[in-house]
Formats: sequence, C-alpha cells, structure tokens
Amino acid sequence: MDAVTYPDEKVIEFIENNLIPLRVAFNTQPLATQFNLKWTPTLIILDPEGKEHERIVGFLPPDELIPTLFLGIAKVYFDLEKFDDALEVIEKILNQFPASSVVPETIFLKGVCGYKSSHNPKHLKEAYEQLQIKHPQSEWAKKAYPYRLL
Amino acid sequence: MAKSIKWETDMQTALGRSRKEEKNILLDFFNPG
Repeated sequence: MDAVTYPDEKVIEFIENNLIPLRVAFNTQPLATQFNLKWTPTLIILDPEGKEHERIVGFLPPDELIPTLFLGIAKVYFDLEKFDDALEVIEKILNQFPASSVVPETIFLKGVCGYKSSHNPKHLKEAYEQLQIKHPQSEWAKKAYPYRLL
Repeated sequence: MAKSIKWETDMQTALGRSRKEEKNILLDFFNPG
C-alpha cells in the first residue's frame, strides 16, 4: 500500500476528506487482539464509538481502494440504520466508480437500504434486475435471486 | 514535498477526532517490516 496506493493524490484527498486515518503495527496490543488481526494489510472502518463495520484484507490499487472505503462508509450508515445517508453515499459510488469491483455489492446494498427505508420491496426486485442485467455472474446476483419473486 | 496521509498512531486520539469531526476511522494494521 505504501508503494502504490497511499501516495496516490486521489487516495490522500479521499481519506483526508472522509476518514480519520489511524495506522498501527500488526503486533500492537491490545488492538491486534481486540480486532482479531491475522494478516496485513488489514484495513478496518470504525465508527466514532470504535465499533467495526467493514474489513478489507490485502492490497488494493488506488482506483479500487477509494470505492471500497466509500462502500465501507455506506455500511456504517446502514448498520446505524441511517438508510438515507447510506443511499446518498451509494449513489456517489455508482456514479463516480461505475467500473469498480464493488459495484455489484453496492447495487445489492442499495436495494436493501431502499427497502429498509421505505418498506417497499420493489427496491429489492430492482436490485435483482440490475444485477441480472449488469453483473449476472456476481455473487451478489446470486444473493439477490430470491427477490425476483417480489 | 509530496503530500502524504497524516496518520494518527493512537486510538484514543483518533476516536476523539472521529467524534469531533463526525468522521469514521480508517484503522490500518500494517507490517513495518
């Protein structure tokens, strides 16, 4: 990450604008035990109470790290049941990073957030349909398969 | 000088900033080699 990703200007700007960056060595205690650290690099998104919401293990290039971190932020909002905030971040991901590998999961999360926000199952069905058309081989298309019946 | 990420190194400091700035934390466990 140090050689390729972290020196990237867009990565620096994204992290500065959206996150508080905290870096510790893999053997730092009690954090390594608290977060069950097994491999490096491991990146974890924590909320302001220090609770984990997303974990990324292994290298990511700049054009994948940014949308991955963005999705992690959306997941924090989802976990905290701030569905409208999650949807706002989700739209940014889909608009700004349409070719990212996180797009299928983002579409799935969009459907779930839309349903939980509105209680309207059409959002789940829309997610299924989008995934079937654009990402039919993805695991997220498989996960959305039951929603075809809605 | 090229810009770089300004990493916090202490969890309590990061938590304080997180609450004040209303941002989540990116915790990176790395191998210093």
